[in-house]
Amino acid sequence: MNRILSLLVMVLLAACSQQDDNVIRIGAAGPMTGDQSKMGIDLRNGVELAVAEWNDKGGLLGEKIVLFPGDDQADPKQAVSVANKFVNQKVHAVVGHWNSNCSINASTYYHAANIVAISPASTNPRLTKQGFKNIFRVCGTDDQQGGVAADFILKRLKPKRVAVIHDKTTYGQGLADYFKKSIEGKVEVVFYDGIQTRDPDYKAILTAIKQKKPEVYFFGGVYPEAGRLVRQAKEVGMRIPMITGDGVYDPTFIGIAGKAAEGTYVTFGKDPSGLPTSKSFNEKYTRKYGAPGPYSIYAYDAANIILTAIGQTGSTDGTKVAEFISKNTFHGAFGETSFDKNGDVSKAPYVMWQVRDGKFVEVQ
Amino acid sequence: MFTQQLINGLALGAVYALIALGYTMVYGILQLINFAHGEVYMLGAYLGIIIFGMLTALGLPAFSLSLSLLITVLISIAFCSLYGAAIERVAYRPLRNATKLAPLISAVGMSIILQNFIMLSQGKEYKNLPPQLPSEGVIIFDANVSPAQIFILSSSILIMIVLHLFVSRTRLGKAMRATSQDRMMAGLVGININQVISVTFMIGSGLAAVAGVMVTLYYGVVHFFMGYLAGIKAFTAAVLGGIGSIPGAMLGGFMLGLIENFGASYISSVYKDAFAFVVLIVTLLIRPSGLLGRKELDKV
Repeated sequence: MNRILSLLVMVLLAACSQQDDNVIRIGAAGPMTGDQSKMGIDLRNGVELAVAEWNDKGGLLGEKIVLFPGDDQADPKQAVSVANKFVNQKVHAVVGHWNSNCSINASTYYHAANIVAISPASTNPRLTKQGFKNIFRVCGTDDQQGGVAADFILKRLKPKRVAVIHDKTTYGQGLADYFKKSIEGKVEVVFYDGIQTRDPDYKAILTAIKQKKPEVYFFGGVYPEAGRLVRQAKEVGMRIPMITGDGVYDPTFIGIAGKAAEGTYVTFGKDPSGLPTSKSFNEKYTRKYGAPGPYSIYAYDAANIILTAIGQTGSTDGTKVAEFISKNTFHGAFGETSFDKNGDVSKAPYVMWQVRDGKFVEVQ
Repeated sequence: MFTQQLINGLALGAVYALIALGYTMVYGILQLINFAHGEVYMLGAYLGIIIFGMLTALGLPAFSLSLSLLITVLISIAFCSLYGAAIERVAYRPLRNATKLAPLISAVGMSIILQNFIMLSQGKEYKNLPPQLPSEGVIIFDANVSPAQIFILSSSILIMIVLHLFVSRTRLGKAMRATSQDRMMAGLVGININQVISVTFMIGSGLAAVAGVMVTLYYGVVHFFMGYLAGIKAFTAAVLGGIGSIPGAMLGGFMLGLIENFGASYISSVYKDAFAFVVLIVTLLIRPSGLLGRKELDKV
């Protein structure tokens, strides 16, 4: 028995040491299964494309780059276990996570292990306000986003009564609260409440909103719920537009809601398709995976920023890489990116979009 | 607002009631809580979206929407009834004389198997069906009663009446009632127990299939996980009305839908799921056998 055991231990040890130490390990974390899986897969594909390009050019620091995907299922508990796995695998840097609560939970572990992490999509302001020098994001924040949405309705829609709802998540409620803060005192908030994610039926809350006669309603949340909300809003006879955030910017939203999606306002980054760099990204991505998702390009840029920083500093040391990222300006597919002292992008990238004829169109 | 919430609650309640009937009928005959029942409802919803999609590809809904809905419902019922009977045959019948807990564990296992089967074969994404019926319907007071709601309410009430007549008037219904009262004695007087149990499972699953297709049409979204929450809610409805009682399941389902809607709109939507369970606990404290349940004697 003992002999078998020791044999087993030896085999296991051999298996462990077989992990190649002479590669650069890049993690990509997001929800790759579950109802938000599309977003995580878009993210991973973006990182994979960047890694493949660097490898085609001969790798980095004379070494090959290897991608380590991590599926957090949009669940903050899973995000911690993904972060632990990355730490054990000695991953050098991470692109992720997608959901704000996942990024915030995982960031503590990345900070402790001195791993640089850039989120392509987590917009909750708390993520970069923890004083962690190695945590960045290439998207905007919810206070900027809520501000853009508030500004838009104050200047363009000029309503007197507004309703605000959220999905009780860190992202959704955070965004709804920033929006509410930015309009309070200027417009009357006649309704404020939360919904359950995964609940198929939202008619009760929608009927209650309709009763308060708002002229527009804000939703802080993600596309599966937003799709059901606007669809059922029409069925209870509500004819006011929804304003919502970047979590809803996905064609699936229009797929669920059908014609009811028309007129919905969504805050999201500028349309990058005018930039030549983004055009070539789109072509390469489409050839490999099909049409890019809303966050693929952000994930691609985040991966390139990390790889550039490792290449320029000639080191995979977290402190050096983080310092390089915070001090330099990067030219990516999405244009120029530089970071402020917190790790947020220096320029708020949000503009207003609207669903027209089944497509997202930038509002001029 | 009151009328609108009433209609919303009744439509939601009709769905709960249809699923709850499956729980209560199986419990009435076998004293078994069929935890896989929520998954049969989910299967019904998936079948709804698949069959309707196929009919759309053939161009039938453009020609006649009601005919294609009827075909969708019928095929979904047929499939789900077979599933129900097969689940009973495979997972419960071999354990009929085992301890009470064995079929219960088997039911939980069946639920996990079905959920994962759908997840692996149909994918983890939400599947969606764009709205098929117009959203503007009949205006009653200040409420908009949408065609989908009219369809759900009228067809579920019709189904419940038919079910009631079937159980109270037909020979097979009488055999079902006899089996639920005393299985051994019913067998001794010549009732084919296995056949009665199979038919019970088929009817329960068929009702779940109708609920599934309705939900597909009503909300337009299906997901492999949807059976879990719906199953728990419907089970709550069955217990609220008195598990084992057919009118009880109907009453419990409608009550649950109304409680959820009024609670969410007049108190707060944040606690929507909590209202149903608070009412359940209070009811069970006052009437342990549910609203219309018989005082259960020595079983379980």
